[in-house]
Amino acid sequence: MAVINASGSASVSDAVRVAGGEQILEVVNATHRYGEVTALDHVSITARRGEFLTLLGESGSGKTTLLRIIAGLERPSAINRITIDGTDATLLPANKRNTTTVFQHYALFPHMSVGENIEYGLRVRGMPKPERRQRAEKVLELIRLPGLYERRVHQLSGGQKQRIALARALVTEPAILLLDEPLGALDEKLRIDMQVELKELHERLGLTFIYVTHSQEEALTMSDRILLMRHGRVVQEGPPTDLFERPVARFVAEFMNVENLLDGTIERASGAEATVRIGSHLLRGPWTGRGAAMPGTKACVAVRAERIQLGPAPSHDAQSINHLPCRPGVTIYKGKYVDQMLGTEIGPVKARVWDRSMEISTATAFWWRANDCAIMPVESE
Amino acid sequence: MTALAEPPKLDDAAPRKLPLAQKISERWPAWGSIFIGYFVLLIIYFPILWLMILSISSEPLTGFAGDWTLRWYDDMLYGTGQREGEAYAVNSRVFDPLFLSLKLAFITAALCMVASLLIGPILPRVRFRGPLLLGYLMPLMVPGIVASVSLFLFYRLGLHWKMGEWSLGLAHFVWAFPFALLAMLVVASRFDARLLEAAADLGASPWRRFWQIQVPILKPGIFAAGFFGFLLSFNELPFSIFMRAGDITLPIYLWIQSGAHNSSVPLIFALSTLITIASIILTFIAIKVAFGERTVRATDVKKT
Repeated sequence: MAVINASGSASVSDAVRVAGGEQILEVVNATHRYGEVTALDHVSITARRGEFLTLLGESGSGKTTLLRIIAGLERPSAINRITIDGTDATLLPANKRNTTTVFQHYALFPHMSVGENIEYGLRVRGMPKPERRQRAEKVLELIRLPGLYERRVHQLSGGQKQRIALARALVTEPAILLLDEPLGALDEKLRIDMQVELKELHERLGLTFIYVTHSQEEALTMSDRILLMRHGRVVQEGPPTDLFERPVARFVAEFMNVENLLDGTIERASGAEATVRIGSHLLRGPWTGRGAAMPGTKACVAVRAERIQLGPAPSHDAQSINHLPCRPGVTIYKGKYVDQMLGTEIGPVKARVWDRSMEISTATAFWWRANDCAIMPVESE
Repeated sequence: MTALAEPPKLDDAAPRKLPLAQKISERWPAWGSIFIGYFVLLIIYFPILWLMILSISSEPLTGFAGDWTLRWYDDMLYGTGQREGEAYAVNSRVFDPLFLSLKLAFITAALCMVASLLIGPILPRVRFRGPLLLGYLMPLMVPGIVASVSLFLFYRLGLHWKMGEWSLGLAHFVWAFPFALLAMLVVASRFDARLLEAAADLGASPWRRFWQIQVPILKPGIFAAGFFGFLLSFNELPFSIFMRAGDITLPIYLWIQSGAHNSSVPLIFALSTLITIASIILTFIAIKVAFGERTVRATDVKKT
């Protein structure tokens, strides 16, 4: 195994070793500044061959900067090493790297036909015309747009442009395909269709995908592994279930759309369990923070609305249940389900009710299983 | 009958006319615009039209049109002295200036195309673009006579260089480049530099990015810069007067001839007419290329 540098990429590299896949990308200690702003702060990442890795974060989190550094479109302020498919690419310009990018704005060449656009990567590699055309037609079939070869770019719809941009990046068979919010400009219906299609394409081709998005839903749907970024750093890294079920910090839970985030102080901690005091109430749950839980520090109890049950707590098994009195607030009709707001002594709580026959507006108490929530530090890092 | 009210009369259906007084009081600014608009067009184009008409009249110097003839065109091309029966000799007095002007125009066009292609796309993205642009466009605002005198003084008296065709070319470039740059900027400001990133990402070297992405997309701007360079050089007078040795360009020839009292003056009418028509055609092509719609392919139309 490669020597791990001192700056803390050990955990990531360990994860790869455990997963057992062959490493295709390694970025060691990348920092990038735009003037005074630090866009990327000593970030190290790796990717396995064939992995679908997602860089998730808000705008300004550094995810696109990281992608552009991998592509070679941005020269980092400081970096130890980038290795792409066994080649040291640290000093290589974008055109000499074995990666291609699907841009959010597509960046199709307006003076070329669809076919010429797709072939461009092959043309610069000196492939003869008949062979290029054959490859372009094949990839057009792959993205289910056969017969568009002669079409002009300005005749395409947004969804078609998106797929042509994908085809153009795929046709050169790069070691890593980089996708920079590729579905960002599409409407919702198309976006959901494309998510499935991208996932299928990834499985069929076995290519390594690195995918940038701000949508946790996209990240959960498609990724093998997610890197959640904030302020130019990786906050949490792991498979979708990890980020969804075991957020390491309040920010992660918030970003993963956990509806109820109840802040308090740690009362007791024992190994994987923690108890949080909020006002006069004690709430139990598994501790998902990175280090050990420290009594007296600020912590957050994160519980999803659908895990909350209305009504009195079942009397058996009281040890593994959190329960509170409440008075019902607004009921919000959502079609498939109903969101019931509850007024409680620890602030408003949202409960999601799927059973339409249930009498919800009379609930005076609610409960959830301790194992259905997560307790984590309020501050990340 | 019951107490039901009668249906209202459909008065609204009848068109009602605006009283004339109201019409005038409401619309006089528009009428003013229309009147002045046509008047300005008239003062621009009437003299040109008049010149064209006189160029095919037998006595243009009298100012009266009529007795149509193409004699002046004939004289211009083949010389005044030679009439039917004699061997036609090309009138070198007109053609030498014409060829010199064409040569200068082509050189100026080429210089404008190269310079605006290299400067135009970068200008919108550099730090001091405002002052820089103003600097490039200054020759538009400095009176031609002042700029040309300063050029002459610098090269002739400052550097002691002899004037010649080189200095004419230089002066024409100084004069034409601002227009060429503006034409290029119209296209270049719409150029999406991210396309160059995309090309690099697909493996294109800087050289390929320039020739395969930047140049084809900026082609309309390059052509427009060339056309403007050509036209402005071809018609240029004040710079040419100062920056020449003994060379006579076509505008200088016209200028000299129009001030002279000899029989070749009517030729000016014919020559000016031809230059005007050629300039108008060139301008139309330049505008079409620079600002015209993207050529629509047959496949666009068929799609219904």
